[in-house]
Amino acid sequence: MAVTVRIPTPLRRLTQNQAEVEAEGDTIESLIENLEASYPGLKERICDESGNVRRFVNIYLNDEDIRFLDGSATAVNDGDDISIIPAIAGGSLDGERD
Amino acid sequence: MVKETEVLELHTETLNQIYAHAKGEFPDECCGIILSDGTREFVRECRNIQNERHAEDPDTYPRDARTAYLIDPNDLIRVHKEAETQNRPIKALYHSHPDHDAYFSDKDKADATAWDEPVYPGAAYIVISIYDHEVKAIKAFAWNETDMDFEEVPIEVNRET
Repeated sequence: MAVTVRIPTPLRRLTQNQAEVEAEGDTIESLIENLEASYPGLKERICDESGNVRRFVNIYLNDEDIRFLDGSATAVNDGDDISIIPAIAGGSLDGERD
Repeated sequence: MVKETEVLELHTETLNQIYAHAKGEFPDECCGIILSDGTREFVRECRNIQNERHAEDPDTYPRDARTAYLIDPNDLIRVHKEAETQNRPIKALYHSHPDHDAYFSDKDKADATAWDEPVYPGAAYIVISIYDHEVKAIKAFAWNETDMDFEEVPIEVNRET
């Protein structure tokens, strides 16, 4: 299954500055594994030590947040568009527990 | 990209829109994205989903929307698509600090940084201080490549030409 994956600016160093790359995978999880094989270092930036997608990383399948699909197990089909977009967050009050 | 010597230029209308947004969301934090095609600016108000996340998972999200914001992922993808397809890159990200001053907090900095670098390297972060529905101050912060840190950049207000 070949799909297009949109890479966020800070990770393009790892994809030779390509904003979009082609990747294979039946699920988001296998897609990330295959991306890692082509572009070493991507997985550890997208996923935490347990392999879960990091809280501040949004992954979209055809503009749908995979959190509202099947998460990493979300099925990927030929021609799908995947976007990896860092979350935008913040807040006031220094030093509060987070 | 906003360089250390540059100022953040914003149109009067842009400021009016983000102030109105901050007032409308008070006492919660507002948040949004400002796109620019180089001439025109486009304010895209986003939904702050911090209250939802806080209600679902207070351990992971200890704050509610009065002291934190998280842009709705659906708004985020929509604005990213507009930025790409309409050739309107992200110029700035804004949010308000209700009943707090216009500083770039530890949380602001932590959330704007990932993988030891700025998540949105070309964008300035605008913080609006609002007390009791009245805007008290506005400041902008941008990544400084030399110091490898976020630093305040002056805001210059222009009329749209």
